[in-house]
Parts: sequence; C-alpha cells; structure tokens
Amino acid sequence: MVIYSFYIFDRHTECIYSKTWLPPPSVPGATPQQQYDAPMISTTGAAVNSASDPHQHSNPNALRSGRSAVSAANKASDDAKLIFGTVFSLRNMVRKLGGEDDAFISYRTAQYKLHYYETASNLRFVMLTDTGTLSMRNVMHQIYINLWCEYVVKNPLSPVEHKGGAGVRNELFELGLNQFITGLIGRTGSQ
Amino acid sequence: MSASKASRLGEETRIEKVNAELVVLTYGTIVAQICKDFEKDYSQVNKQLDKMGYNIGLRLIEDYLAKSNTMRRCSNFRETAEMIAKVGFKIFLNVTPTITNWTSDSKQFSLVFDENPLADFVELPDDGRAQDELWFSNILCGVLRGALEMVQMQVETHFISDVLRGNDTTEMRVTLVRYIDDELPPEDD
Repeated sequence: MVIYSFYIFDRHTECIYSKTWLPPPSVPGATPQQQYDAPMISTTGAAVNSASDPHQHSNPNALRSGRSAVSAANKASDDAKLIFGTVFSLRNMVRKLGGEDDAFISYRTAQYKLHYYETASNLRFVMLTDTGTLSMRNVMHQIYINLWCEYVVKNPLSPVEHKGGAGVRNELFELGLNQFITGLIGRTGSQ
Repeated sequence: MSASKASRLGEETRIEKVNAELVVLTYGTIVAQICKDFEKDYSQVNKQLDKMGYNIGLRLIEDYLAKSNTMRRCSNFRETAEMIAKVGFKIFLNVTPTITNWTSDSKQFSLVFDENPLADFVELPDDGRAQDELWFSNILCGVLRGALEMVQMQVETHFISDVLRGNDTTEMRVTLVRYIDDELPPEDD
C-alpha cells in the first residue's frame, strides 16, 4: 500500500488541510526531500523506503510535471482546488444518477486511486493512494472520529471555522495522523 | 430509519459519563453570572444563553456524528426529530424528550422534556420577572440551532413552557426554516 497524499476540505469548499507523503519525481529548482515528510511506502514485506522504491515512478505527480514552471506552493493549492472541483462534481453527478443517498466512494486511474469520504457536516476527506489499495473510507472515517473530532473540534482554542486551515495544523493532530498512517502501512506491509 | 432503531442507537452508544451534579451546578453558576452581568435583563440573558449554545452546537455536531456513527443524512425532518430526541439527547444528556405536536406540513414539532438535568435543584428568583421572562435552559435551543445548521438545516427554536415557571411541562418548539444548499466552489477566472 502506498499513500500519496491526504486532503481535508471544509463546508466552504476550502482546503483546510493537506499532506503529501511522496515527493514529486523531479521538480527543477525544488528540494523535495526537505519539503516533504518521509514517504509512506510499503511494499509487501519490504521496509519503509523511499528513494529506490519502484512505485515512485508511477506516482500521480508525474501526471502534472508538465506544469513545472508553477511554483511549488501555487501548484499545491492548484492541485487542491482541482481535486475539490473533481470530487464535488463527481459527488453531485453520483447523487443525480443514483439518488440522494448514493455516495461517491472512489475512482481509479492507471496511476492512482482517489478515495472520498464525506461527513453529514459536509467535511470532505480525500486520499490518494496506489491503485491496488482497498477502500480507505473506513480509514478516513476513523481519522474523522479519532483525530479530527478529538484534536481539532474539541480543542477549545481552535476556531470553529478553519479559515486558511487555522487550528487544524496542531501538534496532536499532525502526530496522530502520522502515527495512524504509519501504523496502517506497517500492518499491511508486514502481511 | 425506524423509531426503534433510533432508540437502540441511542442506547448502544456508550460514552464516558460525568457527574450530573457537576454539570447542573456549573450550568447554574453560568446562568446566575449572566443574570448578574446583564443586571437581570432576562431577554438579554436568554439571548446570551442561546448564543453560547449555538457555539457549542457548531462543535457538538461533529462529536454527535462521530459517536452515533451516522454515515448518512436523515431523509426527512421527522427522522431528524427522531434522531435528535433518541440519539442526540440520549448521548449528551441521557434523557429522551418526547416528540409531539407535529404540524401537518411536518416542519414544526415540540420536544417535551419529562426530566431536565440542567434544571435539578433550580428555583427561579422571586423578583416577579424571572418567572415570566427567563428561559433557564435556553442554552439547549442554541445547541440545537447550531448543530442543525452544520448539517444544513436552518431551524428556529424556542421554549414555550418550563416547569420551573410553574407550567405542567417543559416544552421546546423546533421549526424548520429551510434546508441550506451546498456551498459551491468559487468560479475560476
């Protein structure tokens, strides 16, 4: 299982949290190793390992390398907007075709798989993984229950609205998310 | 969702409990302090309590969704009422108000509280006005309003009777104003 990135969008359609674990293959002028956290990769039986991993070449960032002129920060925010636009349209289309109760769960391309989970309070979670990963809906539901609610909502000092991501990037949430994802990858990796 | 399933959901949700008296006394102290701060202008006190509740509701809804494990929306307002009474109030206050007095368009109902844990030990001040003007548990109105707003329902809530005032029942009226539409992403230029 490989997890590329993770996004949270609020009900105002704003991206309030994003995390990328895998660096893009080669963005000229950027120093990916410093910008990104340790990659979260595990192949069956293999230890967590980044640079030499064969999966790296098939990561979705390769799809976007054509726009390398755009600065990294802009690119990240553009990506988030694109992703939101996509999942939002897909979700609306799914509801139109399948009825109000139908839910958009995931889509898959040749390179990656996008998982989507939405709460009744219109918080949207998106996760990009490799194509072989099974449904991450439950994982994102757990992130919502155990991390979002506990560390962001119940933090009395964090604002109710997370304009510009305010209050989301707190230490406990970051730590919890990292541990959770690491644990997840460790489990499937050792099977 | 059927009524029995809703009540089972409320029962099954096990959460840690806090001492009821602590809650009662804390809430009572807050109300007393607000009464003092606003020099017994009870309509202001009601408004403040509602506002506090609203801010609580905005957050509490996430906790509700997490604890009740709700994966889908209620399909109509009647189901919403069911979930509020049998799951929401059960989880957070361990009471189950009765739902009655539906209007024929299914947009208005009453919650009748047989017991109100916020009001234990409470006697309204005997100043001739509190009995007519203060809604002691008004925070609950705000909580419902805030929580429902987050799940895209704009409602209007108010108490219409309270045993503390000498009425026979404690009754809250909830009116659905409208369903709030999804916010759309901004247009790209």
